Parts: sequence; structure tokens; C-alpha cells
Amino acid sequence: MPVEVVTGNHAAGYALAVAGEANRFARGAACGIYPITPQTEIVERVAAFPFTKGRVVAVESEHSAMGVSIGAALAGARAFTASSSNGLAYMVENIMTAGFYRLPIVMVAVNRTLGPPWNIWADQGDSLMLRDFPWVQLYCANNQEVADLTLLAFRLAEDHRILLPVLVCMDAFIVSHTQGETDLPTQEAVDRFLPPLDLPHRMRHDDPKTLGGLIWPDVTTSLRMEIHEAMERVPEVFDECRSAFRDTFGREPGSALEAFETTDAETIVVASATVATTAGEVVKRRRAAGEKVGLVKMRMFRPFPEVALREACASATRIAVLDRDYAAGLGGVWWQDSRAAFQGHRDDLVMQNYLVGIGGGDVTPETVDRALDDLSGRDRAGGPVWADVGNGKGGPA
Amino acid sequence: MSTAAETRDGAGPFSQIPQIPCTDDCLLRPGNTNCGGCGMSIALTMLGRALEEAGDTCMLAIPACCGAVTAGAFPTTSYGVPTVCTTFGGVAAVASGMAAIRDLNSETGQVICWAGDGGTYDIGMATLSAAAERNDDLLYICYDNEIYGNTGGQRSSATPPGARTTTTPTGKREEKKDIVGIMAAHGIPYAATLSIAHPEDFRRKLLTALETRGMRFLLIHSPCPTGWKSEPADSVQLVRLAVSSGLFPLYEVVDGRRYRINVEPDWTDPADYFRRQRRFRDDEVDLEATRRVCRERYERIRHMAEAFPV
Amino acid sequence: MAPVDATVLAREHGLGTRSVPIVNTALAGAVAKLLGLPLEEMLAALEHLGFVGGNVDAARDAYRLVVVEGPVRKASAGNGDTRPRPAGRGPSFLAGAGGDLPGIKTGQWANEQPRRQQYVPPCNHVCPAGNDVQAFLHALAEDRTDDALEILLRTSPFPSTCGRVCPAPCMASCNRITLDGAVNVRELERYAGDRGEVSLVPAERREERVAIVGSGPAGLTAAYHLALYGYGVTIYEAGAELGGLLRTGIPEFRLPGEVLDREVTRILDLGVEAVTGVFINRERLLELARNHDAVLVATGLQELRALRLGLGEEETVSQGIDFLDQVRSGVPIGLDGEDVVVVGGGNTAMDAARTALRLGAASVKVVYRRTRKEMPAIAEEIEEALEEGVHIDFLTQPVAVQRMAQADGDMGEQHLVCRRMELGEPDASGRRRPEEVPGSDFSLPCHRVILALGQSPDLSVFPEGTEVREGHELLGLLETPVYAVGDLATNDGTVAAALGSGRRVAMHIHQTLTGEVVVTGEQTRVRSDVDVWHDEVIRDEALRMHLFERRPLAVGEVIDLDRRHTTFDEIHAGLPSAGEAKRCLSCGVCNECDICVTYCPEGVLKRVGHDLVFDYAYCKGCGICVTECPRNVVFMSHL
Repeated sequence: MPVEVVTGNHAAGYALAVAGEANRFARGAACGIYPITPQTEIVERVAAFPFTKGRVVAVESEHSAMGVSIGAALAGARAFTASSSNGLAYMVENIMTAGFYRLPIVMVAVNRTLGPPWNIWADQGDSLMLRDFPWVQLYCANNQEVADLTLLAFRLAEDHRILLPVLVCMDAFIVSHTQGETDLPTQEAVDRFLPPLDLPHRMRHDDPKTLGGLIWPDVTTSLRMEIHEAMERVPEVFDECRSAFRDTFGREPGSALEAFETTDAETIVVASATVATTAGEVVKRRRAAGEKVGLVKMRMFRPFPEVALREACASATRIAVLDRDYAAGLGGVWWQDSRAAFQGHRDDLVMQNYLVGIGGGDVTPETVDRALDDLSGRDRAGGPVWADVGNGKGGPA
Repeated sequence: MSTAAETRDGAGPFSQIPQIPCTDDCLLRPGNTNCGGCGMSIALTMLGRALEEAGDTCMLAIPACCGAVTAGAFPTTSYGVPTVCTTFGGVAAVASGMAAIRDLNSETGQVICWAGDGGTYDIGMATLSAAAERNDDLLYICYDNEIYGNTGGQRSSATPPGARTTTTPTGKREEKKDIVGIMAAHGIPYAATLSIAHPEDFRRKLLTALETRGMRFLLIHSPCPTGWKSEPADSVQLVRLAVSSGLFPLYEVVDGRRYRINVEPDWTDPADYFRRQRRFRDDEVDLEATRRVCRERYERIRHMAEAFPV
Repeated sequence: MAPVDATVLAREHGLGTRSVPIVNTALAGAVAKLLGLPLEEMLAALEHLGFVGGNVDAARDAYRLVVVEGPVRKASAGNGDTRPRPAGRGPSFLAGAGGDLPGIKTGQWANEQPRRQQYVPPCNHVCPAGNDVQAFLHALAEDRTDDALEILLRTSPFPSTCGRVCPAPCMASCNRITLDGAVNVRELERYAGDRGEVSLVPAERREERVAIVGSGPAGLTAAYHLALYGYGVTIYEAGAELGGLLRTGIPEFRLPGEVLDREVTRILDLGVEAVTGVFINRERLLELARNHDAVLVATGLQELRALRLGLGEEETVSQGIDFLDQVRSGVPIGLDGEDVVVVGGGNTAMDAARTALRLGAASVKVVYRRTRKEMPAIAEEIEEALEEGVHIDFLTQPVAVQRMAQADGDMGEQHLVCRRMELGEPDASGRRRPEEVPGSDFSLPCHRVILALGQSPDLSVFPEGTEVREGHELLGLLETPVYAVGDLATNDGTVAAALGSGRRVAMHIHQTLTGEVVVTGEQTRVRSDVDVWHDEVIRDEALRMHLFERRPLAVGEVIDLDRRHTTFDEIHAGLPSAGEAKRCLSCGVCNECDICVTYCPEGVLKRVGHDLVFDYAYCKGCGICVTECPRNVVFMSHL
């Protein structure tokens, strides 16, 4: 398919649909769908797709959207859905279920501020609250990443070494509603990239099993360990999937984290999604001015790529972690996990958390500059800095 | 066949197929930890027989309820059919997904939701309603023991007035929710009430439900000796009294429009029903009101059955 | 240390339910004693925890009952967690749960277990013929008509006959009476007899030969069983036809000749020889005894009771038995326009009265000295006689036949003078003795009087003073066993009793001649899966009557009253189907209704072949199979 100018939602909806269609020679595809701003366009595109062997069930809640997908997955189908914000919150119980049942469901989450009070703009607090569930989480910075990582997510999730659901996230409006050039792969190519789903524990009459009865603590421990082991295999399988993706589509989706100008950097910005894109511009400008500054763009949040992060930051002494999210009582979620990654490895680091663009506020180069300026004046880290407070800005410009 | 046909409940025809293997390959297998005298167990065994008689198979989707505990501890199970335990409020949606893929693959077999009253009347109401509105091809069976049994006996909206539960320590004040009325209002192809004390009617309704496509809703009055504080041996007799006294009318609704009463109450005094269960206290049950409500409920159904017969 | 049954204590104090007694406080009491805690301390602790009433009492009882002897050893270490742990990590969750059953043998929960028992149904108990009534009704209920007949033929060669003329004590004792009326056993027996087909194969022919004197129901039944055992049997009948009183004493409209013929033929077809027109006197009896290995005397009740009524007895007064025999054998008797009075209250009286009506009598009156309640005739026959127009004068005793001479020399109308009676104190038979009411004489117009006052045995073939009763060997000087059988021995007077006597004596003869004990009939067979066999009769209070649906008794069609007045056509058409058999409650006997199987919550109660099989490894002892068994064949047994 030629490059098209589409929104992030369009890209996501297309990717979900063609991935589903690619399973038409196996047990087909199904999903439950439910609208919520700003992801609605995704499920609209899915609902409009002419599946050969697929069923889209318009349900009464996000909880049931995931419920239908769980049922379809249990029956051996490729299953997916999309949601956002409070929708994810409402869905939580079934999100957890999909993970514990090791169902390779792919969900696109458009990151939107949790409410009430109501705010529909970008904030990663919704998907990051799911951090403790058995889901792989990937964060996209643009429409192409949305299309590519969504397709890749199916291959990753369905790999028998993994068998975990994958959450593919993008920022509300900044990506979801912004049109950009996007290469949307053809169905034929997607068919080649995604092998038919073969779920080893699907429900079948010829081998009746019970899924989800009672388990004792020892089996529970075992179940958690299996999940952990699968999570540990994700980086390797993720990279295999990227290679396969390149072989099929001629381009390689980004890695779990992308290091930019970090080789000799003394100061490094850690950011994800569109905040990372903006930060990249600042890093470029400051590098041009001779500053030893670099950027680590995080794509994978779960499993958290802590080894790669430590390696990328080997030369740094100061790290600014930009979080478009806030975990009450502590600070940014990315910062917490990043800080933990260095615990016991690099006690010399000054790692400061900056809460930027909370509730969809604009994160401009100046925002990043203010953070870097603040960081340069510190000899030890403090509590999270609310970067936009007092800058006189209301809603996004 | 045997002379059992002449008992008032017409238990006979079940005995045509008495040699149900109660070993490994039946629906409810031995070793389950359901309480002695559990009505749900009886209903499950009857469901297994009806499926066998119909030459049908099933997958079970079970929300949090006693039925989920029935399975027993991993890696063993008491269910002889493919079974998944779902979230409390989400069973119908999961079943919809299973049914969708069954149909996409032109496979046979029922997808059956097996849910308690809490997961049906209360937390699962929205999900159930949505599946009914979509007329998804599911058989939803609610075994109604009128209580959150698995959590130790709390009120649900299926708990009858006067019943003591741990959350209604002086007896519940409110009426039982008319779930069949609600389901019928969705216009689903088939909705019916079933009593294990009327096995022939029970069997016929199961077979009807198994033959019907689309959303089917069955409500089973399911005695719970533990929650009802009754003698396990009395379980069947209790629900029999509930039918004969008009407390639990047996009827069916086709397409949400056409009604049929299946067993005429003989208006046995419900006092005996209450007396046999220690969840009821004499001073907390309004017998007069109960009789009136039973009569009115019956009259309403009878009028519908006369005006819009099946 | 004395063990204490906490379950029993909990039950005694009403803690929990019968099958799930809550034993916590009883256990607490026992443990407190073991730990040496003072009673008051334990009670205070329980009170503190909020326990009152039965709980405290159970704890106190347990405390009292536990006897600690010697030092108490400390329990060995161990966490008591016995559930199997998966080796290492155990199976992957992705494998799902399946395969093995849960390891819990829920039978361990039970403190009571269901067992099978069997009682004697009242019908079987009272049947004089020893028929297995419950079993043949069960077969009919399942539409196994041939099997039903086969069951009947085990005991009786006369199901079609008894199905018409038996007073059916089984129906009088039927437990269904309290629900909605007895099961119509008589008609169902007729149904099986008329419609079933069974071919009988006698045992291998034996050398011994048995002579039977008399071909009434007792003689024929004995012949039937002996022939089935393989004996050569010869019947000696004084009359021209076989059947005895069945033939001569019961009119066609109740028992058509061809029905009797069919059943007699079935007996003869077993190889029984019959010699008719031979009267056996004492001398010939001795001869028979010398020529045979055994002799049965089944001559019934030959002496007819008479009543002296004076005037013109020869023409006016006749015996009912003779009257019926004459009518049956075609002796022309015109009763057109006559007033007939029949004296008596038994079936012969009813039969004679109804026969008289059919012969054109202007009026038929029955006079009986007691009330309807005491009438020995079958209730239905009394009813039918009344329907047909027979009038019955109760509490009436005939005194004399009189003729009022008229002035013109006409001999005048003939009358029967009668006297009113009243019931006094009960006599030896338990019935209230009728006593004359002084000055109550009245007269009935009467052209003919028919007596039906009963019969007595003719013992003239036996030596004076011989004690004639069943099972008593007669002519004891001879080696050959000679027995009396039927009414001659029992004086009972019903066909069914004669059948029973014939069968019992046949068994007895067989035992005498061979030493072999055979049991034919008498009681429902004990099934192999019955744990406890009760030899007492089960009554309705032991059944769960609330589980049965009310359903009226089925009766067959009856021909028009017109035909009943003018013809000897059989008045009952019989039942059109055997559906009535489904009304049988099968009291105390499993009829494989499988309600218990249907209701077993665990599905561990199975019907394997005809047996009920309980899987006690999993039975939780809930007791539903007991409370739902309508016929009380499952009971709970303490463990």
C-alpha cells in the first residue's frame, strides 16, 4: 500500500484490522469495541473493515470489549481492541484476566488524562497504571510507529515463548488525531508477516480443560514465575520480530529504547512518545552548541529495558526523566522505574524527575530546556519538578 | 421408562437415560466441593443429561460464583467440558467472544454461561443485557440461590423479602428483582424459569433452549442448604414448595412476547417453605404480603399467557 | 481416652443440619478436656466468643464425655497440610486444569450414607393366591404385558378369571386409597390375563404321578403347579365339565365360559389328564392312593345350606348354586312376570338375583339379615345388582312361604313372610349378631325363593373324625400322602384362596416326594442390591404421599343397562389400556423410577442394569435420594 496521509488512529485501526484479517485461514479474528474519545476512530475503522473471517462485537462497556476479546482469544481467534483513559480503568479487571490467561490480545491505548474532572488530552497516566499487569507495553511517537508496532505486537504476543498481551500506546490528539505520512503495509505483506495464530491452550471439545479454577499459593507462584520468564524473553523476541518485520516490509521498527547522542553524553534526557520527539530537537540544538547532551527514547515500558537503559547512560552523570504522567505520592512512573534500574549500579547519578505536559499541556522545546537548565544547577536530585506550573499556560496552544 | 411417570413431578423420562457416566467424561464430575444437597449440582447434572440427550456439547463460561469453585484446584477439575472462569461481571461478554469464533469456524456446541444470581442480577446485569440486546447465540443459565453464597451469604437483588443474610441481619425489606421480566423485555427468543423439583419440565425447557438459536435465558431456583440454613435432604422439597405456593412460578416467554405457564401452583401455604429455612424468621416474613405478591405475580403472567399465548 | 462422637452431639443439640452438623463447639469441649482446661474456663471462653444455647451444651457434653486416662502425649510435629504438592514447579498453567479428578474423596464428608431397603407391599401381603401384585403392575406400567402375565402365571393359572371374579383384597388394602382410591388391580389382572401371551414349559417329566379329586380352582391350580414341576397329573371330576364352581356357580355375564375354557386349556396343555363324570367315594379314593404317588382332594364345599320355609318348598324354593348351574347349562327356566326373592348376601345371592332379572322376573328382591356393610359379596357386584334393578332388603330374615286363600277358592298370591332384624353384640366372626325385632313380620309377594346361604364341605370320603385342613395328611394309614386342598381344607370360599391353597399344597407335595424345597410366589423377590429386607408390610404413612399426583382410578366400559336386563353378555369390557398400572405406588419396592438417580447432586447414584449403585467414595450423604424416594426404598444409615 502506498504511503498515505492518515491520523494515528487511522494507522492503528488499519493495523489491527489487517492483522485480524491475516488470521482468516486459521480461526479468524474478533474483537469487542466500545467508543471513547480519543480512540473512537480506531474502533470505527475496525468496525468498517470487510473481514473475511472476523467478527466485531459492539458492546456496552470497555469491560465487555476486553471480555469479548478474551472469549474470542480463548476460542483461538486473533483478538484485539482499543481504548483510552477511563475506558482502560473500567476495563482493568479484564485487562488483568487477559494477562493471567496468557492470551495474545493486542490493544491500542490512546493515552488520555484520567478523570474526572474531565480532560481528553494526552497523559500517559492511564496506560501506566496498568504497569503491574502481565502486559507488554510499547509507546509510539508517531503514526508510522503506531502502524508498525501494532503489527509487530501481534507477532510478539503470539510467539509461543511469550504468549502475553501487548498494549500499544500513543499520545491523544498529538498522534491520534494528527495526520502524517504513513506507510500502511498491504494485506498480502501482513499475511506474510503474521503466521496463523496457534494458541496452545485454546478451549477445545476434544481436550476439555478448565481455565481459571482455584490455584494454591505454590501454583500461583509458578504462574507468576512463568509470566516473569516470558517477560524476560520479550527483548530478544522483540528484536527477532523487528528483523522479521524488516525482511517483510523493508524497514525496521525502532528498538525497545533508542539512544541518541549518548555515547559521550554527560547529561541525558529520558523520555517517551512525543515528548521524546520534542526532546530530540532540543538535544540536537544543544549538541550543535557543543553541549554533551543525549536522549534516550523509551519505546518499551514493560518489560522495563533496564539493562539497555544503563548501557545507554554509561557516560552520563545527570539524567532528566520527563514524565507525562503522575503517580500520586511519588512522582513520574518512568522516573521511578528508571531510578530503580540504576539502583546499586550507579550511585553517582543525579536523576531528576520532571513532570511535563500533564493533562495534555504542550511540551515545547522550552519545557525541555527549562528542565535541562534546572538539572545543570543541581548536585543532587530532589522531588519531582512540576515543569509547567506558573508558566501561564492553560490548555494546549 | 418406568412408573415414575405418575409422580407429580413427572420425573420419569429422565430415567430413560439413567446410565449417565458419573465418571470422568460427564459434565459435573465427582470430587467437586459443592456442599451436600447443593441445588446447583443437581442442575449441572441435569444439564449434562439434557446435553447428552440432545446429542449436543458445550463450553462453560463461569463468572465468580460457587460454580467457579466447583472446578476444584488446579491442575484437577470437576468439569468434564471445556470451562473458563471469567470475571464476576463479565461472563456474557466472554461467552459472546467464544460464540463468535465458534460461528466463524462453523463449529457446533453450545456456549453456556453458568452464573449465580449475584453475577446475573447484580454485577453482570449490564453485560448480560448487552448480550441479550445483540441476541448473541448463547445459553445463559442463572442458578439462583438468592444469595452471594460463595462469600458467605450476603444479600443480592435476588434475595427474597424477609430473608436474613449477613448484610440484611434483620431480614431483607425489598422484593426480588424480576429478572425474567427484564430478560423478556429484551425480546430474546427464549426465557424460562426452571425448578429442579420438576425435572420433566426442566428437561423440556433445556431441550427447547438447546434447540433455539440466539440468546436464551434460563433461571433455575437453586436451593442452597448452607445459605438458606435448611436441611440438605430438603433441597428439592423446598423448591417444590416454592413452585406449588406460587413463590417461584414456572413459565416461559418466547420472543419476549408470548407467555406460557408450565406448572399451575396449587397455592400451598408458603408458610411451610419459610418454616423449613432458618434464614427466615416468623416475625420477619410478612405472610399476607407474600401471598398477595405471589397471587399478583401469577395473575400478571396468566394474563400475559392468555392474551399472548405461545 | 474415650472417643466422643462430635457429630452425634451436634445433632442432639440442633447445631447445623442433619447431614452437615456443625461440630466446632463439641470439638472445643473435647479439646479443652484434653488440654486439662477447667470446665468453667472453657465455658467462659465460649461465652466470651458469643456462643450460647446448644453450642455451649454440646461443648459441656463433650467435655463431660471425654475421659482422659494417663498422660496425654503431645501430638507429633507436622503442619497437617496433606494436600499433594506438585513436584518442583508443577504443571504449567498454560496446560489448563483437566484430566484428573480433584483428589478429594467427598465421601469422607458423609456421616450418613444411603442404603437400599425393601418392604412388603400390602397387596402382595394380602393376596390369597400369593400373587406378586406389585411386580405384575410394574410390568404393565412399562407396557410389558407378556411379562406381567408371566409374573401372574408364576403363582396363578387363572389371571383372566380372577381378573373378573376376585373380591380383590389387594384393592381393599391398597395404600393409594388415602390418596385418590385403590389401584384397579382386578381389572389390570384381567388385562394381563386376556392380552398377555406366555408359553409355559414344564420341567422335565418326572415318574411320580399325582391324582387330584375335583377340578375346581384349587384342584386345577394344584394340577397346574405339579405339572409345571414335571409330575404326571390326573384330575377326577364328578361333573361333566372342568372348572368346579367357576364353571357352575358364576354366571356368564361375570365370567364367560370361553374365558374359563382358555385358562383350563392352558393347564391341560401342560399334560394334565382329566377324567370327568367320575365320582370318587371313599373306596375309590383308597384305590387312587394305591395307584398314585400322591392324592389331592379338592372337592370344595358341596353341602348347600338350606332353610325350612314350609309350604310347597319343592316348587317354590331352590338353591342358588343349582339355579345358576341350570341356567348356564341351558335348562329352560322361565321367570317371566315372577316375583323372585333371593335369600343371602354373598356373591351367589347377587349372581342369582341378577340372573333372575335377565330371565324376565318382574321383580327381584334380596333379603339379607344384616346390613350392607356385612355383606360378603364383592362391593362392585352389589353396586351392579342395584343398578340393574335388584332390590335389597337389609336386616330382614325370611320366616315362611305363605299363600292367602281367597274366598273364591283361588289359592291366592304366594308370599314370603319376613321378619325385621337389628344388630346386637358382635358374634364369634366379629360381625354384629342379627337379632329379631319382635312383632316386625311383613310379607313380600313371591313366586320363587332362591337360597344362597353358603356351603359346607362334604367329608364323607374320609373316615369319621378325620381332621381336614390344609397341609394335614389324610388317611394316615397309607404310605401315599393324601391332602385336602382348597375350600375343603380352608373353608375360605374365595377363588383366590383356593388358588393359594392349590399352589401351597403342590409345593408341599413336591417337597414331600423329593425333599426339594421350592418357593413359588408368596412375596416380591428380594433384589440383589437391597441392603435391608423388611418382612413387614409398608403402610401409607411410611410413603411420601406428597410426591404422588392425584389421578382418578381407571375403570373399563360397562355394557348398556338394556343388554344387562336381557342378555348374559359379559357386562365389563375390561380396561382399554394398562395405564392404570402407572397409579401403582410400588409401596416399599424399588420400581426403577430413578428419581433418586435424577436428583443425586453428585451424579454418583447410578442404575447399573437393574441395580442401584451408590459410589460411597464420593457420596456426601446429603439425603436427597431418601427424601425424594416416594416409596421409601432408600434410607440413611449412620456411619
